[in-house]
Amino acid sequence: MKRRIDIGLLYSRSGSYKLIADASRAGALAAIAQINADANHPLHFVATERDPAGNADAYGPLCEEILRETSARHIVGCVTSLSRKEVIPSLEKLGGTLWYALPYEGFEASDHVVYTHACPNQHLLPLLDWAIPAHGVRAYLTGSNYIWGWEINRLARATIAAAGGVVLGERYLPIGAEDVGRMIDEIRATRPDFVLNSLVGASSYAFLHAYRALGLTDPHFRADRCPVLSCNLTECEFPPLGEAAEGLIAAGPYFHGGANGSDTGRFGSSHEAASHAAVMELARLLANKPGAETLPLAQLLAKAGGPVDPGTHHTTQPVIIAQVRGGAFHVIQHRGQLAGDPFLSRVQTSAPQPLRVVS
Amino acid sequence: MKRQVRIQNLGGARATILHRPHPTVQALTRQLIAIGLVVDVVWPELGPHALAADFIFFDADMGYDAQFPWAAGAAPMPMIALIGSEAPGRIEWSLQIGAHAQLLKPVGGSGTYSALLIARDGFDRQRALAAEIADLRRRLDARQTVVQAVALLASMGKSEAEAYGQLRQMAMAWRISFEDAALRVVAQHTSGGSDDQRSRG
Repeated sequence: MKRRIDIGLLYSRSGSYKLIADASRAGALAAIAQINADANHPLHFVATERDPAGNADAYGPLCEEILRETSARHIVGCVTSLSRKEVIPSLEKLGGTLWYALPYEGFEASDHVVYTHACPNQHLLPLLDWAIPAHGVRAYLTGSNYIWGWEINRLARATIAAAGGVVLGERYLPIGAEDVGRMIDEIRATRPDFVLNSLVGASSYAFLHAYRALGLTDPHFRADRCPVLSCNLTECEFPPLGEAAEGLIAAGPYFHGGANGSDTGRFGSSHEAASHAAVMELARLLANKPGAETLPLAQLLAKAGGPVDPGTHHTTQPVIIAQVRGGAFHVIQHRGQLAGDPFLSRVQTSAPQPLRVVS
Repeated sequence: MKRQVRIQNLGGARATILHRPHPTVQALTRQLIAIGLVVDVVWPELGPHALAADFIFFDADMGYDAQFPWAAGAAPMPMIALIGSEAPGRIEWSLQIGAHAQLLKPVGGSGTYSALLIARDGFDRQRALAAEIADLRRRLDARQTVVQAVALLASMGKSEAEAYGQLRQMAMAWRISFEDAALRVVAQHTSGGSDDQRSRG
């Protein structure tokens, strides 16, 4: 007889980041189905879903609804940092835990959140560490006009400056905006060594299409000379990109069919893989521990081992850099496993310390 | 110059909250009204009536420079950042725009009163320091004038120490600063000099 455990799912089924939410939700549902179908696993998950439809202000109330109306204490969900911030008060009030399985900008370690995708020491810093020697130190930064774009570009600016490089331009678009003309003009005029793209959704698609068109007219703007780099683009956004994804270089913990051939390509993208891993780890933590589902997260994680660091609630993950070739990511560099370091307090920088003025 | 609110009594002070409609705004408004402030909520721009506010609470997560009708760091009243994301870029921006204190979101039932007092105190200190620095800078800039004035007085047969003493006496008699007295002495001599030249010509 399997133990029935309520679990919440909080993904938007529509809105500007629907493709990412769909991929994450698919991973979570696949893991739930896998646990439930496994006769030897002691748990049976019963999922309760709520759909905030891409509206950030709907996340808090819907999270509360799951925690009040069901016995679920663990919710897998949220795509944007804004929505994650919105559910934390509800989690604190009602004793819930969010399993957040998307790359984000770091600088958070909530008592009530487990972070199962990459933060900057696992995506941006390795990506720049690879790109600067390979392509050069002259960068152009783009981003969507909210915390993800701002913070990734701030950190990129600091990292590039420390490497003796220069940021030739930095431009933002409101989420959903597609007027990328000015960015493209500036890139054409400044001729950087690489472009860091932290746009999301429709803006990102418009930009990548326009950049591909630019590369067709001027060979400087092709992937071998001036590639576009990304910390958040995965296979789940290939359909609207088509040819425009070719040559793009991304950092992430998983690529479809990717890591040194060890992966069989079970998941469509790292979003799917990370939410699947979140549910599997939750199942591992709760298995054979009746009542553990109501434990506070700190007690659940204490001495449990596994990938989640009980201090930061971040996970150790592979750091992989890969490039889109022929419609699929191909691994360029596998940098091994790295623990999440959300406050970048353990990063060993190789940059020389600036000389201090002694008076 | 804006009215200064007494720390002991915030009653009647005006607070403007710059934040999109949100439960945090409701909680903050409730606390501010309980403390005795008059509250209005605006988004996305402060607008000119914000100049009449005694305190500004602003969203650090989605805020940007153009929301404020003054230059970054030049707010004419205490400002309190409402911080959700503790990302360093946002904290950097909050400091740059001129936060004197902060409140972490979600705002619950406490924290607002201490944020008001800390912001007010920080703002007052910053103002007093700025005024003092401006005065010291003005006096530093007058160093050359003081040297000129002392040299002029000494050229009339006094020792340097006596000339310095005389300049001090003049400043006291005229009830102006030492530096302003020096400026007057130099100005008088310069205009007198040109008169001499005219009479000679």
